[in-house]
Amino acid sequence: MHRRTFLLTAAGGLLAGATGLPRLARAADRPFTFTSWGGALSNAEKAAFIDPFGQLKGIPVVNTSPTETAKIKAMVQAKAVEWDLVDVGGRTVWQGAGEGFLEPVDVSKIPNAAALDKGWVAPNGIATSTGATIMAWSKTAFPDAGPQSWADFWDVKRFPGPRGLYRFFYYNYEAALLASGLKREEVFPYTTEKADMAMAKIKELKPHVSVWWGSGAQPPQLLSSGELALSSAWSGRVLAAEAEGAPVGFTYKDGIAWANWWVIPKGSPNVDLAHQAIDFALAEAQQAKLLDLKTYGPVLSAATSGADAETKKILVMAPDNIKDMLILNEGEANKYSIAYEEKWNQLMLQ
Amino acid sequence: MSRRHVETACLLGPALVVLALLFVVPLARLFSLAFTDPAGPFATFGVLAESAVYRQVMWNTFVVAVIVTALCVLLAWPVAYVLSRLEGVWFGLALYGVLFPFWISVLVRTFSWMLLLERNGPINRLLMATGITEASLALLFNNVGVLVGMIHVLLPYMILPLYGAMVRIDRRLLLASDGLGASLADTFRRIYLPLCVPGLAGGATFVFLLSLGFFITPALLGGSNAITLSMLIASFVNDRLAWSLAAAGSLALLAIVLVLMALTARLLPIERGLFAR
Repeated sequence: MHRRTFLLTAAGGLLAGATGLPRLARAADRPFTFTSWGGALSNAEKAAFIDPFGQLKGIPVVNTSPTETAKIKAMVQAKAVEWDLVDVGGRTVWQGAGEGFLEPVDVSKIPNAAALDKGWVAPNGIATSTGATIMAWSKTAFPDAGPQSWADFWDVKRFPGPRGLYRFFYYNYEAALLASGLKREEVFPYTTEKADMAMAKIKELKPHVSVWWGSGAQPPQLLSSGELALSSAWSGRVLAAEAEGAPVGFTYKDGIAWANWWVIPKGSPNVDLAHQAIDFALAEAQQAKLLDLKTYGPVLSAATSGADAETKKILVMAPDNIKDMLILNEGEANKYSIAYEEKWNQLMLQ
Repeated sequence: MSRRHVETACLLGPALVVLALLFVVPLARLFSLAFTDPAGPFATFGVLAESAVYRQVMWNTFVVAVIVTALCVLLAWPVAYVLSRLEGVWFGLALYGVLFPFWISVLVRTFSWMLLLERNGPINRLLMATGITEASLALLFNNVGVLVGMIHVLLPYMILPLYGAMVRIDRRLLLASDGLGASLADTFRRIYLPLCVPGLAGGATFVFLLSLGFFITPALLGGSNAITLSMLIASFVNDRLAWSLAAAGSLALLAIVLVLMALTARLLPIERGLFAR
């Protein structure tokens, strides 16, 4: 190719790119796209849910990561939705409901949702796998036994050492209220008295908290290196670290159970397919495939029955575990997060 | 239009088009978001003005930037001086020593600092083994960690302009000052220092402005009270989805920076340091 021809072609391509491409990307002929957190969870969702769903339907599917709420909002605003089904944290489901960037979920198209615990179905999203925010500790600091309740976690005499807690009011509201002696069923709905009580309780522990972690990889890493003695942590990350031989202990007792939620960005050209994919993922056979993941578990409690004794210990929805745990009410959590953001940040800056 | 003007326009054209399309337009769109709050065009600025958190974070950010700049000047001065006196292989080695960190990603360097500074890390172990400290020091997740990390990243931005100013100083001026009977301190104060000022001002401006926008280092090495403005803005965007607030916060920062720059430019010959000839 002559240099001149090449330049002309390139210029033409640029022009086409500037004018035509955004429209092309919007066309419905791109494959069905699922976006999740990356890592072990994404791999499990790809293998257990998305790829088999594509084969069943005979359609091409694409698995991408990482998921990002701000990106969903931007795609919807720009009317260029590239994701059809997205795995998000619970807060996003309620933010999306408030700001209108998520499609409503039509439960009549998802018969399998009827078997779920009520807390796992929301107007704009459905939970498909579960995890928890649990207490974890360094086995070097506490070789025998670590804290067994949030009250223990707050007890700096019996369990001395630097602590880690989550960077936002999320999880800490629940942990602090349980540590204050509230019963699990009293934690929600949130009231200003309860939130103030939780803030005071956290302020009390703050001198002993040396890390306010923001990413899930931090607690297991900081506990194994001895930077922290005990910390709140996401169960999946602790289990993954434990499997690699990290000296980290944990308990599900008093844990705060939550889910990974699937949502459909508003304006996705594949809303129907997305509903079918959710229904497919909630079938017992598919849910049971999550057992092999050994980090995040099924959301369907019936799917935990087939697990062996070892696996049952790490499943949030196994009856022996969930009876000692609090299920996070994401709608309420979104309310107190917004209402107390300024006060929380002030506490952090002190 | 003369031939020279056409040439200038042609040479500048591509850069201007790229800048306008990829920088000015998106920036204008971002800032226009600040005025789109449903509560009124200036509601976001009201929210920021009333927020004690925003004021405190703004203050923190400037304090950290000033301290980082001051420490960078102190640390860069001797290095730049030695660089300006070295020749041949030694100069090459020293210069690569300064430039080498540039080629390693900030993220990698920040994570390396985490490993070095942690409670049971090599620095604490060394301090305890030599008996300098009894217990391990908290070097991570507080302002010590932030300062160490930021200074490490920003030091070359101070050293290079300072070196540029020092190497251009005519050494005969110093000899003349000496010959006329000035003391060493006098020569430094009246001859050497004034000639270094353009480089100093240029480097300090680079470091200060870059410090204001730092994100990764304070986010990873800092504690909960080491929140910087860029972290707060990121939280507005990602966690709170309050984009108009994020835009207003960025606009306010830009405005403050521009005012500061204008004031500094009147006092110091910054442009001579930034565009060294």
